[in-house]
Amino acid sequence: MLDKSLTEFLEQGLAIHIGTRNAALRPNGCRVTAVRVEEQGRHLVAYLPKAATPAVLEDLRGNGQAAVSFARPTDDRAVQVKGEFISVRDAESSEEAFVLGQWQALLGELDAIGLAALTSTSAWLMWPCVAVKIRVTAVFSQTPGPEAGAVLS
Amino acid sequence: MSLGLEQLTPCFQGILPSMFFTCAQDGTPNAAFLSHVDYVDATHVALSFQFFNKSRRNINENPYAMVRVIDPDNNQGWALRLKFERSETSGPIFDRMFLRIEAIASYVGLKGTFKLKAADIYLVESVEQVPEEPGRQERWSPPTRRRPDAVFTMKALQELSARMTAAPNLDQLLESILSGIKEYFGFSHSMILLAGEKPNTLVTIASRGYPQRGAGAEVQFGEGIIGVVAEAQQPIRISGLIRGILYAAAVRRRAEDKGWRPQESVRLPGLENPSSQLGVPLVVRGELVGVLCIESQTPYRFHEEDKNTIELLGASLAIAIQNMQLKEAEEEPAAASPAATPVRVPQANPTKRTGRELTYYRTEEVVMLDGEYLIRSLPARILWKLLQTHQRDGRAEFTNRELRLDKSLGLPDFKDNLETRLLLLRRRLDEKAEDIRLVPIGRGRFALELGCSIQLTEKN
Repeated sequence: MLDKSLTEFLEQGLAIHIGTRNAALRPNGCRVTAVRVEEQGRHLVAYLPKAATPAVLEDLRGNGQAAVSFARPTDDRAVQVKGEFISVRDAESSEEAFVLGQWQALLGELDAIGLAALTSTSAWLMWPCVAVKIRVTAVFSQTPGPEAGAVLS
Repeated sequence: MSLGLEQLTPCFQGILPSMFFTCAQDGTPNAAFLSHVDYVDATHVALSFQFFNKSRRNINENPYAMVRVIDPDNNQGWALRLKFERSETSGPIFDRMFLRIEAIASYVGLKGTFKLKAADIYLVESVEQVPEEPGRQERWSPPTRRRPDAVFTMKALQELSARMTAAPNLDQLLESILSGIKEYFGFSHSMILLAGEKPNTLVTIASRGYPQRGAGAEVQFGEGIIGVVAEAQQPIRISGLIRGILYAAAVRRRAEDKGWRPQESVRLPGLENPSSQLGVPLVVRGELVGVLCIESQTPYRFHEEDKNTIELLGASLAIAIQNMQLKEAEEEPAAASPAATPVRVPQANPTKRTGRELTYYRTEEVVMLDGEYLIRSLPARILWKLLQTHQRDGRAEFTNRELRLDKSLGLPDFKDNLETRLLLLRRRLDEKAEDIRLVPIGRGRFALELGCSIQLTEKN
């Protein structure tokens, strides 16, 4: 589902959020610190801050539906991955450098468009994380414009 | 912890993008970035409906949504649980969002290409702190206090008014406004454009803080923030300008991919990459006198509570400028019979050029100086008349009155704005031709001073 080019895009350090919903179809969502593409693009591991709202994990365990949105601040190129929840575990300390490396790359992107001072996020709790494994079911373009929503994969 | 919506107005300036979470009727969630969430009142926000995308289709099926915003003052994240109430296609909320989108779109030549379909109004059911995005508490100001960078205070406005009152003519009035905006409001980059000779145009008459003064630079109504402000006669504050332009540029690239070709891009005078812009219409009794544009490289300078002061600022500047224009137009000397006075040619300066070649193109009404564009329209006709008269009669002194009565210049019978055009010509010469000057020498009188010999050529 996620080819080499898309994988490189998604793992470069982007603004990432995961969207879920509860049994009453009320949406929830939280920030994602980083992602890793696995199983030749069939699976995505989303690293969610442990501090994030527990409602997202409750939703994932309850109905499994997930939407992960990626955007690159310097040009607004954006992609959304739809998927189904497989599992959740605590992220290991050996993964910290990979995860925070992506987060730092995002801060570099924000710096490039002059938002460094405003996005000084030293207080944000981006680590430790839980690793949420998702089976990719669809990929859409979300770059702003009339063609947003086009199927990529 | 939760706060009232009215205390979160900094979150709604579009500096940092927001996230919009919705859910389809079949249970599929959707997460999408939003460029802007607009504050409506203590219990409502508005989201722009530009494209019928997945988020919007979901809202048609299921009215519940969540939006996450970030307070740029302290980076605290907030989650707002929303319920869709209605779409508005006219009215003040729609107009405000429409103007913002149009102004940003015009920067990338997209004006009119993607319209605001509606302002979607949502009830805010709850406001919650985002736990993974805690703010830095030391930067938080109590909501009842103005923020430390508040600049549009009544005190600053009063001090600017006092300075304006002391200005004896339009030239110094404009300078006093721009210097006052720097001194009392803290903005180093600003410009004033006044109504141009051609309908629906503005012409730059004064600027401050830029390498090029840009006197004579024209802006069409509807182009850029300044043109949109003129067209709508409404102030526009844009704080997240870079983000907005990037968003519009992304839309443009997608449109170009689909075969659409852009109109000519408009290059506005000003900062190369402003982070914030404020456009203030200068309106007296429904008539647009001009536009004040303030720019900042700081992304966040304009606050919700500044709105009334900014409108008051625009009104007072408009009245002051128009009064000065009327006063100067009436200040002609009763008898104007200038004696033939030789031009005062300064001592030869070997470091300066000795000859200038000026060409007037009658059809385009443009004066070129040594092959480069100098000025057009009425200021060009005036300059050509002065130079021809000097060459023919040797006269160096002129009066506004004789220009006003000269039918060959084609001044309008009503509100000719001659003094404004003369000021524009003078500033343009100061910028581009330091050895050809117009120097005021008394009420309604000025002298043509030449520091070089001139050669005049007229072409169709």
